[in-house]
Amino acid sequence: MERRVLITVARDEIAPRFDLTTEALLLNIAENGEIVTRRSFLLAHASGDELCDLALSRDIGTIVCGGIEDEYYHYLRWKRIDVIDSVMGPLERVVSSLAAGRLKAGDILYERAGEPA
Amino acid sequence: MLKRIEDLIGTDCPDLPALLDGLPMGIVMLDDGGRVLMLNKALEALTGYSRDEVRGLPCSHVLRSRACVQGCPHGREEGPGSGVETDCINRHRRKIPIRITPVRVSDGNNRPVCVLDVVEDLTALRETEARLSQATGQGQIVGRSQAMEKLLRLVPVIAQHDSPVLITGETGTGKDLLAESVHKASPRSREPFVRFSCGPMPEELLDAELFGRVLDNSGELKPGRFQQAHGGTLYLSEIADLPLSHQSRLVRFLDEGTVLPVGASKPVRVNARLMASTAESPDKLVQDGRLREDLFHRISAIRLHLPRLRERGEDLGFLLHHFLGQYAARFKKNITGISPKAVRLLREHEFPGNVRELRNIMEFAAMVCTGETIRTEHLPVHLTGHLDAGTTPRGADKARKTGRKNTEER
Repeated sequence: MERRVLITVARDEIAPRFDLTTEALLLNIAENGEIVTRRSFLLAHASGDELCDLALSRDIGTIVCGGIEDEYYHYLRWKRIDVIDSVMGPLERVVSSLAAGRLKAGDILYERAGEPA
Repeated sequence: MLKRIEDLIGTDCPDLPALLDGLPMGIVMLDDGGRVLMLNKALEALTGYSRDEVRGLPCSHVLRSRACVQGCPHGREEGPGSGVETDCINRHRRKIPIRITPVRVSDGNNRPVCVLDVVEDLTALRETEARLSQATGQGQIVGRSQAMEKLLRLVPVIAQHDSPVLITGETGTGKDLLAESVHKASPRSREPFVRFSCGPMPEELLDAELFGRVLDNSGELKPGRFQQAHGGTLYLSEIADLPLSHQSRLVRFLDEGTVLPVGASKPVRVNARLMASTAESPDKLVQDGRLREDLFHRISAIRLHLPRLRERGEDLGFLLHHFLGQYAARFKKNITGISPKAVRLLREHEFPGNVRELRNIMEFAAMVCTGETIRTEHLPVHLTGHLDAGTTPRGADKARKTGRKNTEER
């Protein structure tokens, strides 16, 4: 069965905040991890309420985002939507990790190359 | 390559992390690319992240503040010590009001070394502010009626813009409070809210009061209300009382953003949001020639109308108990209710002074009440005087028809 996932996006990375997001990526992911469809949405203005509406109207099963306020988190959980929050990193790396079934809340996927030992 | 703190600061101050840990406010040290070099202990507690977890990450993902997303405070060229009030969401999904003050750190040759963001948790301040505002009842407009709820829903939306606002409504309906509420909800809320009543005044004095005056001796500018409201909001009550010549100067301000102080040769730029109010119909004022049409069209970019108290339906009962609670607390009295007869009497009153009149009545009643319930004898005489005749003005007909005297206190 396919999973429907909404990822909050800012440029080419995960948006730092759910309620201030104006761009979202909608994915359909097959059980074997293959990304079946991929669509981008632009919102007229940043609004946590509208993002929740979008998720509900599109029958989303999982939301991937950065920081999210308690109120939205519990509302989405109550609506039986899984929320993988506090994710930081470039979008493509997050998508790969998600498709492989490895992504979890709090993951930091930035490459910190050049960091002195 | 992410630099080490010791490389940036040198070996003269090797214990910088310990020094920053000792400070009560949150500090994040950033490199020139906006990546986190370290957090102090206070900021670790606020964000929920440890310094090792977030080292090298973009600061916007660690602080997750509204300012980071909507306009990074590092790009602002402001004076030292100026911060931006915003909010952040921490790892535990808690939204926290904060102030971020960026401090640029340079070496001896004025070369930028790093940026320190000072992050203050404003939760306690905001709670105190809310408590004080509730206690004094100032700057807060309340209502449960459909008309007021519709109006109050507009306040945060209107507050985000800088367009002029015209507020209309009878005396005592809360025009000043509404203007202040819009200011308080706006990004200008930390800046002054200056109120000016355009009552009768000699023109020259009015000029200086509003637009400022250049002093003859020193050539210094004595600020007028416009200059006092710089960065904030200037609210002109009863704008139609302003002479037409001054109204034309307001038009100029709205068009160009400048005012000409008395005795000055050049106009001065002022950044203030203009709000105005009138108790009369602005269309009629224009017809009567008391309000310039060009000013009316500019000032009424956003027009809000406050209904009379009698048109606010259930608000009368709600405000009655709201003011009762407020004044009982202020006078430290244990007043728990109001008798049905006193409520009936108030419901039959016309309230020409609207909410202000109701508030004054409840202040008086709470002041003179010695028991737990406000009764008719605690209400002002102008409401109860006709009770000697055994009826309320409106109830007189009804009493005549039913043949019942309205005297028992129930």
